Amino acid sequence: MNKITKWLKLTCEDTLLLISEKMDHSLPLSKRWRAGLHLAMCTVCREYQKQLWILSSLARCLGKAEGPTDPSFKLSLEARERLKQSLK
Amino acid sequence: MDKPEKLDSNMWLDNYGDMMYRYTLVRVRDPDEAEEIVQVSLLAALQAKDSFQGRSSEKSWLFGILKHKIMDHFRAAKKHVSLDLSSDDPGDPYEKAYDHTGHRHSPSSSWNLDPESAAQNQQLVLALSTCLDKLPDKYRKVFIMREVEGLSSNEICNEFNIQPTNLWVILHRARNHLKKCLETQWLGK
Repeated sequence: MNKITKWLKLTCEDTLLLISEKMDHSLPLSKRWRAGLHLAMCTVCREYQKQLWILSSLARCLGKAEGPTDPSFKLSLEARERLKQSLK
Repeated sequence: MDKPEKLDSNMWLDNYGDMMYRYTLVRVRDPDEAEEIVQVSLLAALQAKDSFQGRSSEKSWLFGILKHKIMDHFRAAKKHVSLDLSSDDPGDPYEKAYDHTGHRHSPSSSWNLDPESAAQNQQLVLALSTCLDKLPDKYRKVFIMREVEGLSSNEICNEFNIQPTNLWVILHRARNHLKKCLETQWLGK
């Protein structure tokens, strides 16, 4: 029984790696169960999971053609002129 | 039926130049390389102009070409530096946050953000861009391909000869470095 409990009980360190992995591929059933069990009991890991979802949605937004921009993201006048010349 | 869209190459630079440059710079970091990729893409578009059939908008067509050129850039870079995990790569920044049993010494702080609406905070999205610039090059590239470009794990592993388990470790570390950067520099944690 102790062995089963030990196998079922993941540490936070193990679980955080699985939370990240789950964003990249489908976890095998046994890992899903064990991570799910840990998450049900651990607020720290649940918050971490939420933070990775936020990170992912920020990254998607950053990658869009119309994503937010600041002055350093604009072509300089010189760069624009160089591009203009090369397209002639 | 809508009339197929026509291309107006004279206006490409004015209409899409900044947008294409920004899109590229987010992915490749170096301003000179970003400018070169935009240039190569626009030249390729000029050459392929006659094959445009108007099935997509001018903008989607140009960004399609740009995406290909950015991937070509990543492929060319892999010839010089492998993207697979090595012992020299920086470890997990939270490694010391666990005790010998794998449990955290202290709970991590809450971000107090809603995952659904966080991306509407433009300052936070730009903060991620600044944090991405601080990531080691390998971690940055892999994170960009997975989370910004949306490539699957399989596509990244096959294209860049990375072992799947190593890819997951790289992504885990990259996410933790980004998380820490956002927390210390932007969220005041």
